[in-house]
Amino acid sequence: MLSANLIRKGHKVIIITHSHRPDRVGIRWLLPGLKVYYIPFLPIASSATLPNFFTSLPYLRTILLREHIHLIHAHASLSSIGHEGILHSHLMGIRTVFTDHSLFGFDDAASILTNKLMVGTLKNVDAVICVSHTGRENMVLRGQLYERSEKDPKVPEVRKSVYVIPNALVAEQFKPRVQPPTDTITIVVISRLAYRKGIDLLVATAPKICSLFPNVNFVVGGDGPKLLELLQMREKYLLQDRMELLGPIRHKDVLSVLSRGSIFMNTSLTESFGIAILEAACAGLYVVSTRVGGVPEILPEDMISFAKPEEDDVIRAISEAVKIIQNGKHDPLQAHERIKTFYSWEEVATRTEKVYDTVLRSKQMGLMERIERTMDLGPFAGPIYTIILLVDCLFFLFLEWWIPREKLHYVDHHWNQQAFKKLADEDRRRCG
Amino acid sequence: MNDPQEDWEKVLWRRQSYPDNYVPPRLFLASLQRNPNFRPYSYWPLVILSCSITQHLAIIFIFLAVFVELKESTLDPRSLVCISVLLFLIGYATWSALGTQQENPDYFTNHLKTLKSSIMMFLALMSLSPVLRTLTAATSSDSIWALAAILFIINALLADYTATNPEDPHEGLSSVLSMNAAVSASVVLASRLPTNVSVFALMLFSIQLFALYPIFRHRLQTSTISLWLLITLGLSVLAVWLMAELSRTVMWLNFAVLTFTTLVAPAILIWGQRYKNIIRGPWDTAVPKVN
Repeated sequence: MLSANLIRKGHKVIIITHSHRPDRVGIRWLLPGLKVYYIPFLPIASSATLPNFFTSLPYLRTILLREHIHLIHAHASLSSIGHEGILHSHLMGIRTVFTDHSLFGFDDAASILTNKLMVGTLKNVDAVICVSHTGRENMVLRGQLYERSEKDPKVPEVRKSVYVIPNALVAEQFKPRVQPPTDTITIVVISRLAYRKGIDLLVATAPKICSLFPNVNFVVGGDGPKLLELLQMREKYLLQDRMELLGPIRHKDVLSVLSRGSIFMNTSLTESFGIAILEAACAGLYVVSTRVGGVPEILPEDMISFAKPEEDDVIRAISEAVKIIQNGKHDPLQAHERIKTFYSWEEVATRTEKVYDTVLRSKQMGLMERIERTMDLGPFAGPIYTIILLVDCLFFLFLEWWIPREKLHYVDHHWNQQAFKKLADEDRRRCG
Repeated sequence: MNDPQEDWEKVLWRRQSYPDNYVPPRLFLASLQRNPNFRPYSYWPLVILSCSITQHLAIIFIFLAVFVELKESTLDPRSLVCISVLLFLIGYATWSALGTQQENPDYFTNHLKTLKSSIMMFLALMSLSPVLRTLTAATSSDSIWALAAILFIINALLADYTATNPEDPHEGLSSVLSMNAAVSASVVLASRLPTNVSVFALMLFSIQLFALYPIFRHRLQTSTISLWLLITLGLSVLAVWLMAELSRTVMWLNFAVLTFTTLVAPAILIWGQRYKNIIRGPWDTAVPKVN
């Protein structure tokens, strides 16, 4: 949606990603005028490709030069191609922006390694966008995004190039459907059924909620490793008629599932933004959520009840929500209208555009400055990353000689929104 | 612009008059916790805790010294058997005295059970000695030394050094693996000895040191500090003295290892605590509490 809104504002946007099985490889067009390059790297597991530093350079160089790209916006700290894009782009004078959508800890092996990789990448990035204030705090610490203060060189201060721009949603796609009045209260859970999403809390609390409130039912959508535990719990407490497990749900069916309920329950143990909460609130549901990560920042206090990630407190929050619904204190249509004013992709695009503009107007880092910044990584990682940086430069020089820029087939005809609109109107007229 | 503390809020739903890269001076990282459960160590309590490691290492050195003396026939295996039996009786008496079994009505039954299993073990080892002596006849000595070294390292790494209540059923997987590694090392070393009596003596001694002594050590660890330190010192001195008879170099190495473990390592741990940096915040994955 960000891409679509940027295109609407007159910018040219292309997406570069890896190929997808069985046959999604090469160039595809997505409307409105969004070109997607699926470069031929096969994912090995969970839609992830093998991590590497140089493999994408021949592809990226060709694509970025022939498409006349000025800025790369990489997403996700575990995206191999995102890291590569940031590493290679400076060689072509292309500016870089990075966005992370997740929260990471500091004490497990995976986080330590990922964070070190992040620090190396973010040393040379022009701007960082985070999706929540908690996400920014996490990112600043993980990516060491602080510099010596101008006032006092001993005191570190956060880089000026770290921004907070939340996600958004298309409110029209989540219009509340007016339901006939009923005594039954349905709690909807739409989530990946995994540990991080707090399914253990759902398994523990659902039977107690059902026994406390005979008029409360559950609808659970999603798939994952914890599905078996939910099924076992349903069997054990004989809740087959009160808890419906829908399995995996396509995004286009989310609204129809949300419309069946009046309370949305989120038991996540970590969440940077929580777009599902926003969609549920927009669809008119009252939200009950664990107070984790960036969740407390998303909605006003009167649209959400918070709980600690503890069984008893989740039951308390659900009881509170049930009372609110029973007393008619929550108006779904009003909630929808409020969300409409809070979040819009148009506003997100405008704010992102400002970041891009600031980046493009800022002074570009030279190679020596990049080497100095990379060496600051430390006595062990610094030299390793610097060697990677220098090898990347040599590989780039080789490619400049092997496939000279003059021989590249440049893109001259870009997507013309006006021409497309004109043709579409003519076609509509012809069809009657 | 107003004071950020009053005006700026950590919310996303309200459009605020501040730029997207605004960092609130006093609110930024306000929920950050550094080393939340930090408990600074003090030197002498750490030294006392490290004594269990010192004892364990001393026991390994004592065992190796005894093995070398048996191999070179400078120690009579019969006297080693007598020493082992004597140590067992003293150890068992001390273990009973330190324990709280007097209140137990099955106190004497337990003694009989212990006596029965001890005799069974004694006879089993005696009958297995000829088999164990020829167990690795086809294997070169170099391989045996390497294997024994690896097994003793595993034993030292996986041993259970924790101080627990004697009432606790203390049989973790790592301590079982540790004991198995030590007994396996003893078996492969015993197979290099010349006589069946030597094999029997060494295996009996190894069972004492690696199977029974750790149980005794757990009870000892919760008793008086003076007795604990006295036994640590006694074992360390014995290990160094036995090694001195074999080789001066090995003796100094042994002395250095034991001194480092007891006195230097705790100091390093205290020094290293300065660099402890655990970061906690709202981004951490919460731990769900279910009843």
